[in-house]
Amino acid sequence: VLVAAWAAACGERNGTTRLTFSGSALGPEATVVRRQLVRFGERHPGVEVELRVTPDAADQRHQLYVQWLNARAPDPDVLQLDVIWTAEFAGAGWILPLDTFAPDVDDFVPAALAASRWRDTLYAVPWFIDLGLLYWRTDLLPAPPRSLSELRDAARRFRETGTTRFGLVWQGARYEGLITVFLEHLGAFGGGILDARGRVIVDEPAAIRALTFMCDSIRRDGFVPSSVLTWQEEQTRFAFQNGDAAFMRNWPYAWTLLQDGSQSQVANRIAVAPFPAGDEGRPTAALGGAQLAVNAWSANPALAWALVRFLTAPEQMLERARLATQLPSRRSLYDTAALAEALPFPVEQVRRMLDAAVPRPVTPVYSELSEILQVELHRALSGQQAPAAALHEAAREIRTLLARAGLASEEQRR
Amino acid sequence: MIRRGGAIEREERRLARWLVAPALAFILLGSLVPIVATGWEALHGHDLRLPWLGRPFVGLANFAEATQDPRFTSALVRTVTFAVITVPLELALGLALALIMHTAVHGRALIRLAALLPWAIPTVVAALVWRFMFDAQAGILTAPLRTLGLVGESFDWFVHPLAAWVPIGAADIWKTTPFVAILLLAGLQTIDPVLHEAARMDGAGTVRRFVTMTLPLLRPALVIAAAFRMLDALRLFDVAYVVTGGGPGTATEPLSLYAFIALMQRLRFGYGSALSVTVFLLTFAFALIWVRVLGRSLVGDRM
Repeated sequence: VLVAAWAAACGERNGTTRLTFSGSALGPEATVVRRQLVRFGERHPGVEVELRVTPDAADQRHQLYVQWLNARAPDPDVLQLDVIWTAEFAGAGWILPLDTFAPDVDDFVPAALAASRWRDTLYAVPWFIDLGLLYWRTDLLPAPPRSLSELRDAARRFRETGTTRFGLVWQGARYEGLITVFLEHLGAFGGGILDARGRVIVDEPAAIRALTFMCDSIRRDGFVPSSVLTWQEEQTRFAFQNGDAAFMRNWPYAWTLLQDGSQSQVANRIAVAPFPAGDEGRPTAALGGAQLAVNAWSANPALAWALVRFLTAPEQMLERARLATQLPSRRSLYDTAALAEALPFPVEQVRRMLDAAVPRPVTPVYSELSEILQVELHRALSGQQAPAAALHEAAREIRTLLARAGLASEEQRR
Repeated sequence: MIRRGGAIEREERRLARWLVAPALAFILLGSLVPIVATGWEALHGHDLRLPWLGRPFVGLANFAEATQDPRFTSALVRTVTFAVITVPLELALGLALALIMHTAVHGRALIRLAALLPWAIPTVVAALVWRFMFDAQAGILTAPLRTLGLVGESFDWFVHPLAAWVPIGAADIWKTTPFVAILLLAGLQTIDPVLHEAARMDGAGTVRRFVTMTLPLLRPALVIAAAFRMLDALRLFDVAYVVTGGGPGTATEPLSLYAFIALMQRLRFGYGSALSVTVFLLTFAFALIWVRVLGRSLVGDRM
């Protein structure tokens, strides 16, 4: 890091301007991002872009960013942010508002754009997206379940007849993934965590019904194994690819691995659908993915913005889809043959889900809010507390948190 | 002699001070400064995620918040309960192990090596192994119970709020019993074998000799072993972090883990520091009382 900082300081002396980009660069992602940074440099003579590799684990990268930006470091100029960090960084004043650059954002997936805004101002540009999907077995069912009760009945039937060992598997460990699973159940019941004005609604009847459904899936109906409370993405994938589960909630990354016949027993027998809705809700896909933002203390904000625009252009997204199988955040690309060719993934199945995408609460205190909710959800799911009691407790703590952060009173003022 | 030696003695004292100075400086820098700094931080409202709130001095507000925080109070109860249950078990098992090592005639080296091995394995590695052994799907400790019908098909240690303590306790006891055994073995070896010889002559049986001689003479070693183990158990962190992560919910979350989460995950430096200071004060208070009550009587016995 020291060497990099020194190099950056010397950069301008040689007549070249140095930009620093920081993001994940693991395996194919590294190939794509290096290639694109070089191309950007070729288009901007005198500019050299350096890739600052940060840890792949989101928590660690977040910690590093917080340290750098808290210390007002002028680099990295462009940051890859997890979709849930943007409001936090914007609220702290660590990243630049982008509206001054008059960005054209009409094409982006609405949920991703919503996660890029804080107080009606754009602070980041969606780079690639992730969607929570329901994987189902085409050899067991002719069509995906159209409603939550259809999903439950089918999952129960497969388990009770011994067709599969488990009905449905999802990520239930006490970590961020649990929030995305909860979000999809919330959507199915028409509930939410915060409303559009930022008020806490996670203790309202719809949310309680959603959590009750999740608890019943494990404890009363038994079609979700209780072990999911220790499972993250990979454990659910193992269960599903061994043929142990009829349904799985997971992200797009699992698709390629599940279609690989050398390790998967369900290759060519799977399809994806949005997590289905109950009577009062709508099909919902939790939104994940990454966004690009500009460091508030960057020495070259205009150039940094140019890099953001370059990396989020359609050609770059297509290349990223082809090499790193990451879904573009531009809607129009889903209508092109180029994307269908680039992705080893049923693009027409995904396109239908773009409108089902829902972001997690957009608030500067998201990480703490998430941690509070993870604990209370996990308490309810492991039978230590009734769903209603757990959510009332979570809501109380989240309200205290918002008040402490000075975010609650402001909502009342509005 | 006093007069003649005065100058030399003063000289030597000064030299002694200089010789001790580096060690003192290290202690100051290495432990006192961080402790004071943490204590100072604990008196501030400081949230890295909410930089617009600044870093105001809030007095004891963080400590007051802790007393109102059910997650903190239940973690406190859990931590103390864990220590009170596991330490006696470790002492009993450690004593048995020490007696075996002490009395073994054949294969002494091998027995000692086997007994001490768990202690030499890094805690995180040991904890991971225990987690896998208790795994609901593939764990070698869960499958037999299921076959015998002692637990249901869907039983999972890590999902049950009380059962989740079993892997933690097992890992901790397995890992630290050898440490207790070493301390007690050292204690056993200080007991003069002549005493045992004499008692045997007087017709005392094995049990009688153990209860009336070995145990009382071993008391200093037992007190020290118990103190070390209590202090460690009250600061329980790594095993719980690796084996259960504090779950399900927060059912197995000890104080240190909660302090870590407040500090490093929530980035609430003020509140997290207050929690860390509380852990420190708790262990410090325990050590003080332990030394006062048992330490003094120990010295008294010997005098």
